This record gives sequence, C-alpha cells and structure tokens, in this order.
Amino acid sequence: MIAGGQSLVAMMNLRVASPGLLVDISRLPELSSISENSDAVSIGACVTHAAVEDGQIVDPSRGLMRRVAATLAYRAIRTRGTIGGSLALSDPAAEWPAVLTALDAEIVARGPVGRRSIKCAEFTTGVYETNLVADEIIESIRVPKLPAGARWGYLKLSRKSGEFANALAVVVADHARDHSRVVLGVANGAPLVLEDTSRLVAGRGRDVRLAVAADLDRAAGRHFDEFQRNLHVVAAMRAVQQVLQ
Amino acid sequence: MPDDVRGVGASLLRKEDERHLHGRGQFVADVKLPGTIDVAFVRSPHAHARIRSILVPPEARGRVFTTADLPRVKPIRVTSHSTGAKSPPWPPLATDKVRYVGEAIAACIAPSRGEAEDLAAAVAVDFEVLEPVVDPVRDMRGSRYPVHENWGDNLYIEHVLAGGDIEVAARAAEVTVTRDFRMQRQSGAPLECRGVLAYRDHRLDEVVLYASTQTPHTLRVALAEILDLEERRIRVVAPDVGGGFGPKARLYPEEIILAALALQLDHPVRWIEDRDEHLLTAAHTRDHHYKVTAYADRQGRILGIDAEIVVDAGAYGLWPQGPYHEAGMVARALPGPYTIPNYRAKHYTVATNKTPLGPYRGVGRPGACFVIERLVDEIARAVGREPNEVRAANLVRPEQMPFTTVGGMRLDSGNYAESVRLCAELLDMPAIRLRKQRGEPDGRQIGVGFATFAEQTAHGAAEFAARGAAIIPGFESCTARILTDGSVVLMVGIQSHGQGLETALSQVAAEELGIDAARISVRHGDTESTAFGFGTFASRSMVMSGGAVARASRILRDKLCRIGAHLLQCDVADVRCADGMVSGPQGSVTIAEMAKVAHLRMDGLPQGVDPLLDATATYEPAISTGVYSYATHGAVVAVDPETGFVELLDYAVAEDCGTMVNPMLVEGQIRGGVVQGIGTALYEEIPYDEAGQPLVGTLADYLLPGAAEMPAIKIGHLHTPTPHTEYGMKGMGEGGAVAPPAAIANAVRDALSGLGAEVNETPITPRRVIAAIRKARAAASKT
Amino acid sequence: MTAVRFQINGVAIADDVPPRLSLADFLRERRNLTGTHLGCEHGVCGACTVLVDGEPTRSCLMLAVACDERDITTIEGFAGDRVIETLRRNFHRHHALQCGYCTPAMLITARDLIRRRRAGSEREIRDGLAGNICRCTGYTNIVTAIAATAEDIARETPNA
Repeated sequence: MIAGGQSLVAMMNLRVASPGLLVDISRLPELSSISENSDAVSIGACVTHAAVEDGQIVDPSRGLMRRVAATLAYRAIRTRGTIGGSLALSDPAAEWPAVLTALDAEIVARGPVGRRSIKCAEFTTGVYETNLVADEIIESIRVPKLPAGARWGYLKLSRKSGEFANALAVVVADHARDHSRVVLGVANGAPLVLEDTSRLVAGRGRDVRLAVAADLDRAAGRHFDEFQRNLHVVAAMRAVQQVLQ
Repeated sequence: MPDDVRGVGASLLRKEDERHLHGRGQFVADVKLPGTIDVAFVRSPHAHARIRSILVPPEARGRVFTTADLPRVKPIRVTSHSTGAKSPPWPPLATDKVRYVGEAIAACIAPSRGEAEDLAAAVAVDFEVLEPVVDPVRDMRGSRYPVHENWGDNLYIEHVLAGGDIEVAARAAEVTVTRDFRMQRQSGAPLECRGVLAYRDHRLDEVVLYASTQTPHTLRVALAEILDLEERRIRVVAPDVGGGFGPKARLYPEEIILAALALQLDHPVRWIEDRDEHLLTAAHTRDHHYKVTAYADRQGRILGIDAEIVVDAGAYGLWPQGPYHEAGMVARALPGPYTIPNYRAKHYTVATNKTPLGPYRGVGRPGACFVIERLVDEIARAVGREPNEVRAANLVRPEQMPFTTVGGMRLDSGNYAESVRLCAELLDMPAIRLRKQRGEPDGRQIGVGFATFAEQTAHGAAEFAARGAAIIPGFESCTARILTDGSVVLMVGIQSHGQGLETALSQVAAEELGIDAARISVRHGDTESTAFGFGTFASRSMVMSGGAVARASRILRDKLCRIGAHLLQCDVADVRCADGMVSGPQGSVTIAEMAKVAHLRMDGLPQGVDPLLDATATYEPAISTGVYSYATHGAVVAVDPETGFVELLDYAVAEDCGTMVNPMLVEGQIRGGVVQGIGTALYEEIPYDEAGQPLVGTLADYLLPGAAEMPAIKIGHLHTPTPHTEYGMKGMGEGGAVAPPAAIANAVRDALSGLGAEVNETPITPRRVIAAIRKARAAASKT
Repeated sequence: MTAVRFQINGVAIADDVPPRLSLADFLRERRNLTGTHLGCEHGVCGACTVLVDGEPTRSCLMLAVACDERDITTIEGFAGDRVIETLRRNFHRHHALQCGYCTPAMLITARDLIRRRRAGSEREIRDGLAGNICRCTGYTNIVTAIAATAEDIARETPNA
C-alpha cells in the first residue's frame, strides 16, 4: 500500500524494502475527505501534511496540528506525505503518533469485514509496529475538538530543521475539565504517555521534573541512556511550561 | 568598481551561471550515449575478511566481472619517497581479501542501474571474517590480524618533526597545558556523487572517460599506467562537476574498472554512485587523534609545543599522494602562525580496516588549527588574559616577515594581529559582552571564540618534494589562442568545479590582452583540448593557472603589438594593446583585423613573425614553498546547558588573500568553506563500531549544514599582495573550512566557562557538550 | 510495465514504465530532462525537487507510475515565468550558485516560497530552504537573491 511514498520509496531506494506489489491509494477520494461534527473532525488518511500546514482542514486542535505540520520534514515532503502514512509506519521519532495520542484521537481502520476504531494511544505497539492487521488500512483519523480554553504545548528538539527529532514532547491541557495529557515521542517504541505528569499538569502542579522522572522510571521495556533520558525530561518540562504560562 | 573595468579586481558576474540557472549544466550522469550499460558493484559487507569464493549465478555469466575477468587491470600503487613509507598494493576489485566495508569485489552490468543492483545482490561471496583493526592509537604497532600482512605493524609511516629543543621549553615553562583532541572521521560529501561514463572511440582509437573528477590529466596518467595503455589512447573529460572539495582529486578503483570494461566490452558503460555508496566508499576525511602539551610563560607567550598526532588513514592509499601527507601537514601547521621557538611532533599514519582517507578542504590544517587555537585559549585562561591578547603576543609580526615557523611554514607577508582585531570588530564585541552580562531569558549561555591560521597555498616543488611526493603538482599551464575573428580561447589544465574559474581566468586574459572578458572562453577539464595540468585542489588554481594565463596572454600581446606596429607602419615601442586594439601614433587596428592577417592573410605579417596567434606557457610562483593567506574567524554561539544544543548566532571572517582577482568569487569561496567548516564543527561524522561497521549511511544520519542553521557570514578584508605571484594574489579556496571547528569550540568553551566545561572533539554534538558539562561538574565537586 | 500518461512542462506524454522507476529517473533517462539532479535518493538533499500539480515534490521519492494524469514541471519548463526569471537574474547578480548542482531545485523551491508569501524575512527564507542542501555557497548569497526577488516581485505587483 503506498500513499505519499515519502518513507516507502526512500526505503525502496535504499533497498531495505522490496514490495512485490504496490497499490496506490493516494487518490481514493474516500481517503482524502474531511468531515466534522460538533465533537470532532475526521481527517482522511491520505490528507497530506501540507494540507494541514496550509489550513485546508478544519483544525480541531486549536493550532497544534497546524504547528506540527509546518515543522515536519521539508515542504517538498509535506506536499506528498500523509498523516495516515505516518501513523501506519510509526517511526518512533515521528510527530503524528505522539501528537494524535496527546489529542486522544482515534484511528478508523477499514478491512474486508468493516471498520474498527482504535485509540491512537493503543495503535502503535512498538518500533514500526502497529496493531493494524494484514488486510486493514487506515481510513481516517477522528480527532476530538479541543474545547475553548484548552491549551497545548509542543517541543521538538532537533539539531537541524526538518531532521528526525532527538526529543519530542506534546502537552494538551484542558484545565476546565481537569484533564491533561503529556506524551513523549522518540521513546524507543510507541509514544509514551506520562500518566503522573499528565495528572500533575491537569492540577497545575509544579514538580514536573520529578513526575517525568517517575513516569520514565516506570516505563516498561524502554531503555534510555542518560543523555536521552535527560533530553526527555527537559523536553517534557519545556512543553509543560508552554501550557502553564 | 566602474562598469568598464573587467580585468583583475572586478567582481565580474559569472559566465558559468547561464547554463546552471537553466538546468543546462552537463554533469557526468547527464551525458547520454546510445547503448549505455549501467554498472553496480558487489561490495564487502565485512571490514576484514578473506574471500573464500565468489559465486556468480549461472544466468548472470558474462555480466559479472571479478579481477580474473579483467586481466589488464593491475593493482593501484602509490609511490612515496618518504623514509619508511609503506605502500600496499590495492587491487581495484578485491581478490583474496577485503579490508574495509564497501570494498569493491565485482562489477555487474545491466541495462539499468536498478537491474545492475539486483544482479549485485544475487552474487554470493563466501567470507572468512577476521578481527578488524579499528583503533589506530591502540593498534598502530600491531594487531592479531594486521591490515596488511607483510607489514609487521599497521603503520603507513611515522615521523618526528622537531625544531628548537622541547626539553628547554618544558623546563622553562611557568604554565603547562595538556589536552587530548579528536576530529571525527567524515565525508567531503559534494552534492554530486562520483560517476564515470566510459566508451571506446574507434575513430580516434581512444578509450574515453567522462568522470566527476578534479584532476583529469593525472587521472589519465594513472589509467595509462594501470591499464598498460599509451596516454595518447586515453581521453579523460571532467564535464561539469558538482562539487569536489578534495575527495574527487584522487584515483578510484571504479574509474579503473569502468575504463577496463569499456575496453573489453566495447559498448559504453556507466557507473553513477548514489549517496549511500558515496558515504561508504568515496574518500573519508579528517579522522585525527591528538595528544598535545603547550608550554608557556606567565604572560602567555608560548615556549614550546609537544604533540602526538595519529591519523586513521583507512585500508589503502589513494593515488597519487597516498595518506602520507595528512599527518605531516598537521605537524607543520600545528604551531600556527606563531613565533613558537621549540617544537616536537611525533606523527603516525595508521592503516585500519576502514574506507581510505583522502584530502578534504583544508586537509591537515583544520585539525592543526583546532589544536593550537584551543590551546591558545586554555593558555590564556591559565595566565588570566584574554585569548586574543595571547594571540597577539604570539603571532608573527609584519616586520618579522618572511618568517619560517618552527613547523617549517615560510610565511611570506601579512599582518596577522590586524586580522584578529578586524574580526573582533566585525562581531561587535561590546554588544556581545553586554548580551552575556544581561543573560538569556531561556537560560542559554552566550560565548564567543576566535581562531587564527595561515593557509599555505599554491605550493609547488619544494613543498611536495619535502613531503616525499612522487608526483609534484608544481606548475600549471595555459594555451591561449586568438581565433581568426579575434575571439579568444584559453585552454587550461585546472578543473573548475564551482570556483568560477571560467570567469576569473578570462579576467586575467582580459587584463593582459585588453580584450573584453566576454569575448574569452575558458576550456578546462578535458585532456583532449587542454595542455597538461594537475587540476584544482590545494588552493592553487587562481595563482598557478592565473599565472599561466597571464604569461600566455603576454606572449600573444607582444605578438599582436609587433603585427599591429607593422600594419600601422610604426615602431613597436610606439604602440599599446588595449580596448581590443593595437593603437599607435597615427591610428589603430583591431585584434580581429590582426587575427585575420595572422591566419587568413599571412602575407601581411612582418618579417620574422610566424602565422597563428597561439601561445602556451607554464607558471609557478617565484617561491615553491607556498604563499600564505591568513585569516581570523570569530563565532558567537548560544549553548543550552540542559540539552547540549549549540546554536550559531553570528560568524565573521577577517581575511587576507592578497590581490583578489574577483572579490565576489573570493567571498563566495569563504562563505562556502565556512559552512563546510561548521559542518565539521557541529554536525558531520562517520563513526565506526568495534566490528569495523560504519554507523552512518544516509543523509538522515549524516547531517549536512542547512540554510536554517547558518548565520549570515560577515567578511572583512585586508590586502597584502605577495611579491611572489602574478598581481600579488594568493590562493584562498580552502581557508574558510580551516578555522570554524576551532572558533566554535572556543566559543562553546567561553559559553560554558562558568561550568568549566570544554569540548575538544568534533563534531561538537549535544551528547559531547553534556558529557563535558558532567565531567566539569564532577571535577568541580571533587575540589 | 504500466501505461502512464501525464504532462511534462505542458507537453502530453504517454509511456510504459516499470513500476519501480522513479519520476527522477523517468525525467532524466527517458525524457532527457537532465536539469533535475540526484544527490541522495532518500529525500533529504532536495536536488531532485520538481513541481507536481504545482507543488514542490521530491522526484526521487515519486514513482513515475504515481504520476498518471498529473502535471509535472521541471526546471526546463519555466519559460516566461516571471518569478523564475527574476530569481535567475538575482541568483546571477548575487553569486548565488557555484557548482550549479543544487541550483535548479533551489530555484523551484524559492519560487514556491515567494508564491506562498514565505519569503518575507531572512529567517523565513532560511527556514524555507531547509530542504535544499547546498555544499558550495554557504547559503548567504542564495538568501540575499531570494529576498531581492521577493522585493522585486512585490514592487512589480503592487496589488498582490
């Protein structure tokens, strides 16, 4: 299955992927459609990053998605690369899995037996691993609309504009409803939801560093060296700071 | 500069631009010949292994070539006249052993590159894997499996360079600073990778190679020798070349194999490298280890330097110069442009199971500059003075010129201390100090750092002979030809691959002949149509080739004056050649008119003057030890002490390259070099693991500097023409890349001075910054 | 082999292509449009950038078969384009190219920045060029040339 091909064709050029058959789904209108209701916006899997960057979709995230799209890779990649493609690949350093997890989005997968909804937080299961089954594709992503008054923070640390992140932290906070989510990308697997930190931020707590450290300690099966761990802590703290200011 | 001045000194806009702006450049991969077959190489996945067998699938017979299938190919052999130099034979296709990941084993041919790669993947090679040599410091004296079995050790060469008496310095020292330094291995990474298109021209009985090379004539020399062919039956064309920077100034096995295939198969063959192949197998660069002690008095005057230098040169020597020059260059440049009286440098060039090491913009100088300029800053700290004060106290002064440094560099002219002052002025030091005092709202630390260096350029016989070189690129050549209509062609042996020499050299001819540069064409890069020359590298082309153009043009000018005087019926002493004509007391005659006489109406020529307007001249500067450009670079950084990330806020260069033929081109070279130097300083490295596997393979992990992270680079000029070249010009193409690692490392040191952290390794990555901070904190907590 | 039809620089093309052939290779090898260059083939260096349906695209990451019914514009296809012509003039005037390998893609990217009004400041231009590597110039003059072009275009179209 090929949508934008920005990762797949690169892998083919490097001879790390040699698919026997490719089906181009990028122009199926069902996969590029956008719809909204009062609660959420549904974004077709083949909507490009550029479309989000350019504000061609109704933004349910009060500017977060638009900000993320604008700093993802390079413009010439964004004009072809798709949100669905990014999710299906689930590169640990990718932006959308972490951001959409923070936004509590749902992935609608479509297969021969019909549709099913998968919470973004459960969608990625490891490095380049998702719980899509073999005959399923991502059809759309349903992103709940952030209520007025909700705030977000986003920090991508990289040495060079457009390169893969060295650290990625996303914070979404809705203090009116005592809700917050803090998510780390570049986490050697699925995006890491920092539960303690999320609760702390919801309650406008101050000891963010301790909470992040505790969340990292508790993260099962993730091994970060000291440098990377520290980067996670700093990224999380700075993203939280954007929200609490 | 007035519009009508188009000779030396004019910022003439480039002739090269027209084709490139329209996508009409012609790089090797753009040359199309009917019937071309593409080539891909089977390459070693192991760093060190014996080849037991090579299994070619039966259906691929005739399409896969090993050494056995190409009988005329001989091993590459580098000759060095330096004492004790060891030179391993390098079979272009590995026979019994492979010695680095990526070493070519077989060539596969197919109608397209993709199919050739499919074929290469189907060839099965059986290896007996051996433990590789990957640590040059540890294994230089020997290893379980030496890289080259009959050596007894892993040393290409070792040498000691000494001047004065280092023991005297050690005893007299009031301040001693000792540090380890490291420049990580990297790639020159021109945007166009390598490529060769080869075919037999039956009409001319030649094998023709289009190659992305900086040195077409010497490539022909090598091919003739290795393939046992007369040079008159080989033509090498370097068309447009998309950046070279040094790695394309060396002979590669692929060039030999493509020529051999073209001869054997008699249809055009083509190899166009892709980026991961380039990162793996094109010459690697830098890769130095240093252990250095500086001795100084309490004013910061440096009494002596004691250095150990190790160069990790990889598995084979790249022809023609091999790896022998890099460490020696470092040793000679390490004392910098300072009046240091005592020096000892032990240098070791080590064979390892890695990609062969080649030259890259600056070669040994960036490493040498990194070491000495960091030491200057540490000495300054130790004695409680500003680094630039210590620089000034040690820099050679104008009245001391010419001055031979204790490293053996004969500095010819210039005011080095003035470049330090000008650089600081360009950066606006008071504003920086103010900013540092105020502190950054985001908690980052601001730092400023400087580095001064001398750049040996246009060096020739004396220098290369001292290096033990078997091939001495000590001159350049030009054939200047005025055609029957008065238009001019300059045929030169250099090879312009971005430096704008098609423009700059025409300016020199315009200056001498009085003809508009727009009527002058420059031909370069083709052995068929240019006199012998060595190519473009070592910051030599403007001086050497410009000098040859000047001399050839003068010969023509003198002949034109004789013809013109005859046609004007006056004395030769009474005419001058300018503005496209020869003018005398009673009239003038155009160059076109005279050219017509010289070709089509030779009955109009004076007695004793032969037809044609054709002159060939060579040129070497008056001294062959090199003419020295110099500069001081300054960098302003913001360091995030929590993450280790470094941002470059500002960068300035105060330089002196003597007379600038085209100031616009000079500034372009400086800025390009600086950004490559920033790449070395902050981004670029190819680390190897214990198994000899390179850990970087694509541009996703080999980071090249991009526009978003670069500052606008400020430039100031000093002008000290050298007496030893035409017009007083000096080379300067590499200088931009020499000082950035030092200036940036010093800036980071300054930024983190509160923490006492220093990074003495390039690239200065966030990991290394954090490690340095940790180390400094641990040391501080112990005291 | 798969049959495809598309427009290249305004000319209708029909061909049969192997599915794994990239657009870049199709342009360079089959149409002899060699102004589009290959520097990495993994989407980072930007030298292969062309326009597909008016949008900058990495031709090394686009399969030729995926271009069916699309409109491709390469550096060879901008005759009469005012922004490109102004960019060429300013690149020349400000010495914004050296070896020329990155130049066609740099022009196409710069044109897109100006078209999208993302060339209003040095910062904006530099960020917009992140996806185009130049190894020769150090970028300073490229930024100057693009800024000058944005100004020239703005001056020439006061109501834009």
